[in-house]
Formats: sequence, structure tokens, C-alpha cells
Amino acid sequence: MRLSLVGKRYGLRLPWVLRSVSLEIAQGALVRFEGKNGSGKSTLLRIIAGVSEPSRGTVTGRPATGYVPERFPPALPFPAREYLSHVGRMHGLAGRELASRIDACLDRLGGRELAGVPLRTMSKGMSQKVAVAQALLPRSGLLVLDEAWTGLDVEAKAALDDAVAARIAGGGSVVFVDHEPGRLAHLDAERWRLEGAAATRLTQPAVACGAADAAAAVRIEAAMAVNAPAGLAAELGAVPGVRSARSDGERLLVLAEPGSSDAVLRRILATGALHVLRVGAGPAPSEDPAGEGGP
Amino acid sequence: MIAPVRYQFALLVRSHRWIPPAVLFAVGVAFLGVAGPGSSSALAHGVDLSQGLAWSALILVPVEAWLTRAMLTAEPSAARACVAAAGGPRRAQLAALIAAVTMGAAFGLLGVAWEVFSLGVRRSVSTNSIMVGATFSDIGGGLAAALICLLVGSAIAALFNPPLIRRPAAAMLCTTGAVVLAWAWRASPANAAVRSVGYGAQEKSWPTGAALVAAIALLVVAWAVSAQVAARRQA
Repeated sequence: MRLSLVGKRYGLRLPWVLRSVSLEIAQGALVRFEGKNGSGKSTLLRIIAGVSEPSRGTVTGRPATGYVPERFPPALPFPAREYLSHVGRMHGLAGRELASRIDACLDRLGGRELAGVPLRTMSKGMSQKVAVAQALLPRSGLLVLDEAWTGLDVEAKAALDDAVAARIAGGGSVVFVDHEPGRLAHLDAERWRLEGAAATRLTQPAVACGAADAAAAVRIEAAMAVNAPAGLAAELGAVPGVRSARSDGERLLVLAEPGSSDAVLRRILATGALHVLRVGAGPAPSEDPAGEGGP
Repeated sequence: MIAPVRYQFALLVRSHRWIPPAVLFAVGVAFLGVAGPGSSSALAHGVDLSQGLAWSALILVPVEAWLTRAMLTAEPSAARACVAAAGGPRRAQLAALIAAVTMGAAFGLLGVAWEVFSLGVRRSVSTNSIMVGATFSDIGGGLAAALICLLVGSAIAALFNPPLIRRPAAAMLCTTGAVVLAWAWRASPANAAVRSVGYGAQEKSWPTGAALVAAIALLVVAWAVSAQVAARRQA
């Protein structure tokens, strides 16, 4: 699907929340939007999901869409199963297929026992499972997740990660916003930053980082503590402003954008599992940390 | 379109928000309709069927406006967003309006039936037989008037409630004002429809049928505006 020169404001005298945003979401793509609070992430997700129409520009080619809103309200007068049946019917499901889809989505999130529970009486985490389940009802197409992980238990978070991976592998696309920088870092996400009502595409994750880009980067070398978690490099790779993050198990090499190297450095220090050895300009003599000598 | 309407209708029924307007309608039709407005002795003087039908149509304007407001405020915006992702924001808004009209139509039919059975059927004491005083043209006229009032009530509520007017005080004030205008203004389709059935001054301000066309036109415009704003301005 494609967004062409999309602009959005909520009233004629109100400021533009988004201005001339153009982007394409390919089949099989995972797209992440980053930005400060109030930068228009949720608004853009709503436009992508088809919940809200843009004030300017066009959105074309949107497939079947499941949307998890930022805050899902439990104040609906239905038990979960009845609510999911209504949403499923709106997605064109019916009969046996609808029932099995509802079971599958609830099971996946570990929420089978929620089927008969009235939405009104649900806790934040329980209703968030229902919110995610309703978005997963369509088997394929686009999945739009606005901080969908918030409030889920660990198992359900992992299940949602898996559902995202499965959707991408199946040729669908997933667009998401999350305040956790390491979210879905193990998947190859296309990252966009929203700032000043405009969207700019950040560089692709580690694999796409070319030598020319690396020349202007800030290089941070660190030694990894014994207790450093396994996915640390991938997690740092998803931090805004990080071009690449690689490790050989003992040493970590991070290439950061010059403008955000301070923030990246702070983030590295905050992990508590890294000991910074060197900060410098440009790429390492050899791009492979394992190939370097001692500090 | 059936699935979203079904969802909205279930939401209206299960939220119990339909009950207050239903009580208003029941009180309006059963009590005031028989007693006649402003005349406690109307029953003794014999309120005729056409007046009863006109009254039950008239009361349908605020009842449908209230039902529509209840429907338009029943769904939390995040729940609406999930539904809009499934079928589009315009469709979701139209589904809510259709659900409220469906329930209002059921009320209107009940109202006409009540008037026909309470005022159009008389037991004659002298011959001990049931006399049906209602003709098909009475009933048809009553149904047409009820339909017009239903559409006017829906159009009013669509224009003066969320997403167009979000603040409850302003929305209710505007809706009430518009209902009074629809009743009292001679050019209003609801006013014309009720007079054509036989309530108040008999001279016609609209030819027969024109009031229905005007009510439909009003409804189409109001629903289109409501759907447009729902798609564009939902925050």
C-alpha cells in the first residue's frame, strides 16, 4: 500500500499533525515509527489503518487491516467471544471459520478462559489480549500495532512477537509503534522517524549499513560483561540513531549517527552490562570487532 | 453493511441505553396520546384515531433523536477505531445511525399499532360486537407520518451530536432546540406530516408525498455530514 503526500490536521484552525508524508508499505514489510510523544505516531498509524482519513493526500491499496489502538477500553457490554464475533463478521468471517479463528487467536495469547468474561470486568492486561485478538482475526493483510505490547504478560508479548513474524513471513505487513526500543529487534524492520510533522526514513538495520555511511559515523567500542544478555547487540541495533551494532560475544562495536551519539552512549552505559573502551570517529580499521587486536 | 449494523444494534440493546427513550415513547403514546395534549377530558370528548396517530408520530421525533444520541455516544472511540479498521470509518458511523433508526422504526410500528387498537377498535355495548373504526388510509397515513418523524429525528440527532458536536451540554441543547423547531415550524416535514394526518390546523404547507421527500433529503444530508466528519475529525 502507498501513502502519497498525506497531511492531517483535526480542524481548520488546528496545526498540522502530519505534513506531506509519503511512504510505501510492501508486502512482507515490517515498519517501525519512532518519535517523541505527540509527534504524530498514533495519528499516522490511524491513517495507515484506515481508521481516519487524511486531510490531504491519498492512501491507496490498503489490504484487510487489523488495528490495535493505543488504549483499548473494556467499557463494552459484551463478553469477549461475542465482541470478537462481531469484529470477525465485519472482517467477512462467518460460521465455523469464525469460531475457530476466535479460538485460535485467544489460544495464541493464552486467553482462552477470557471467552466468556464480560469486557467490562476485565483488567488492563485481559482487555489488551482481547484488543490484540480482534486485530489478529483476519488471517492475512496489514497489522497495525499502536503500543500493542503494553499490559500483556510475558507469554502474550512473546506470542505477539511470533504472530508478527508469522504475518511478515506469510506476505502480510506489520506497522508498529512501541516505546520499548528493543521491540522486534530480531526482525528486519524498516525504521521511520516522525519529527516536526514530517516522516524521515532512518537507515536500515545493520546489514544495510554501507561503508560510505560508516565514514561519518561515531564509533563506540565496548567490552561485554559476562552477564550481558544474548540479544544485547540486536537490542542496541534498534535504538534510534544506531546504524549498526555487532558483537562477537566479548566485544561490541556500535556505529551511531553523529547527531545522536551522546544518546546512544548513554543508552549503552545504562545497560550496566557494557564497559566502554573507546569512542571515536569513522569506521573501525576492520569492520569486524573479532578481527581487531586488544585495546 | 449487515455485520456493522448488527454490532451497533447489539451495542445499543446490551448497553440498555435504549430504555430511557423507550420510556419516553411509552409514556408519550400511552398516556398523552389517549388523554390528548392540554385536555384531560379529551378521552371523554373522544380523541379520534387520526389525532392519536399524529401524536404518536410527533413524539417519535425526540424519541428517535434520543435513541440516536444514545447510539452515537455508546461506543468508546478506541472500540470505534477497531471497527473502522475493519470496514472504514464512514461505514461504522452509518451503521450506528441505521441501528438507531431500526429501533426507532420498531417503536413507531408499536405506536401505530397501539393507536389503532386503542382508538380504532371499539366494543359496542348495545350490539355486543367489535367495531373497527380504522381504515387503511388512516393506518397508511399514520405510518407515513411516523416514518417522516423518524427520519427527521434521526437527521437532527446526526447533525447535533458527536462527532459534530462533542460537548454534551451543547449537543443536548441544540438537539432539543431542533426538535422543538421540527414540531412548531410550519415548513418542517414533521410538522407538515402530522398536520396532514389530522392534528392541529388542517391547511397543508406541503403536498402529500413532498414531506416524505423532504425528510429523506434532510436525512441523506445529515448522515453524509456525520459520516464525513467521523472519517475526518475523529481524534
